[in-house]
Amino acid sequence: MSAVGSSNPEYVVARVRARRGSLYGDEEYRKLTRMGPAEIARFMEESSYADEINALGSRHGGVDLIEYALNRNLASQFDAILDWSEGSLYGLIARYLRKFDAWNVKTVIRGVYTDADQSAVESDLIRAGEFDDRRIRRLLEADSIDAVVEVLEDTIYGDPLQAAYAEYEETGVLVPLENAVDRAFYERLLSGLGGGEPTRQYEAFLKAEVDFRNATNALRLARSGADIDPAAYFIEGGELFTRGSLARLARNLDELVEYIADSQYGDELGPALRELEEADSLIAFEHATDAALLAYGDRLGTIHPVSITPIISYILAKEREVENIRAIARGKEAGLSADEIESELVIT
Amino acid sequence: MLEATNELGNVALQAGGTLTDPSAAAALAVGLAALGAGYAERGIGSAAVGAMAEDDDLFVNGLILTVLPETIVILALVVVFIV
Repeated sequence: MSAVGSSNPEYVVARVRARRGSLYGDEEYRKLTRMGPAEIARFMEESSYADEINALGSRHGGVDLIEYALNRNLASQFDAILDWSEGSLYGLIARYLRKFDAWNVKTVIRGVYTDADQSAVESDLIRAGEFDDRRIRRLLEADSIDAVVEVLEDTIYGDPLQAAYAEYEETGVLVPLENAVDRAFYERLLSGLGGGEPTRQYEAFLKAEVDFRNATNALRLARSGADIDPAAYFIEGGELFTRGSLARLARNLDELVEYIADSQYGDELGPALRELEEADSLIAFEHATDAALLAYGDRLGTIHPVSITPIISYILAKEREVENIRAIARGKEAGLSADEIESELVIT
Repeated sequence: MLEATNELGNVALQAGGTLTDPSAAAALAVGLAALGAGYAERGIGSAAVGAMAEDDDLFVNGLILTVLPETIVILALVVVFIV
């Protein structure tokens, strides 16, 4: 609930481990890939998503129902975890969950930019971060980007957004604002991590995530051949790249692939990198980074049983489940075959 | 710091302080064992409550695991009867 007092990993880990048991396994995914959207919704109603499906069932239908139920379930689960944690544990978890705040800010800004309906924007928010309902209400009521920036004045996004707003006014594109939000999030992610050995492992995980994000961005830039300065999209805090090395490597795809293959992630990403060289497909690489992060997360959960790591491991597994179900539902809607959908899933 | 503690112990022993009295030492032993048990139960108890909150069937398991460290106190109690 708050950042004061001593942390209580025992309690949170016990609850999280119980919930981990109810995540979908291989068997459930295999069933889901053979169902239509309505059947998937029915299947979810009989599992841990019952409350959300029932609450939203009258207002939405089909794939939208699944999508909103997934978002709402994710938000309520992560909110609960933040609610249970105390002391330094809260700080460590909130650090990662702030990515949903960043997501919400970006959604609201895009909504304002495209003049979207307030309720449409609201249903796309994932209320899993640190923002309380009052701030989210004020964000939704903001009718200009200027007003959004003002609402966020006293948060970590305040100053970066203010700085980016001037650039937005000049150019009229959202990229500087979105970059400012992302960068504010990533800067906070790795700064001032204290604590002992479990926290070190958590930090290593976060660094791997930053590295993969940088690598993906660089690969995308290298492949698109667009004339964009890769250094402008560089995220600080990773171990693999520096601003300079990323800018140099992003110009040459082969060099970049070789560099990643030689790094400490080479073993995990090797097969995907070979595929990238042969088929020129980024999808396999992005899947491989997701799978590597998930496998790392699973490993994290068992080394220090009573610490931050099993909690983060659950958060990752849950996020992955939501993304998998979404992929199945969207795939079904687009008329993909079961085999094609299965190749899209990330399961360890 | 360590030397100071050593000296303090010597002084306590030479003065025929309470620690050389067997029943006082036994009382201290039981007290420390109880303290250790309490600390162990703190973690187990909060984990048990967390597990029970998720699944009511875990009540019995949780209760048993929570009071397991209590055995240390019972074993320590033997000391009281020996001295």
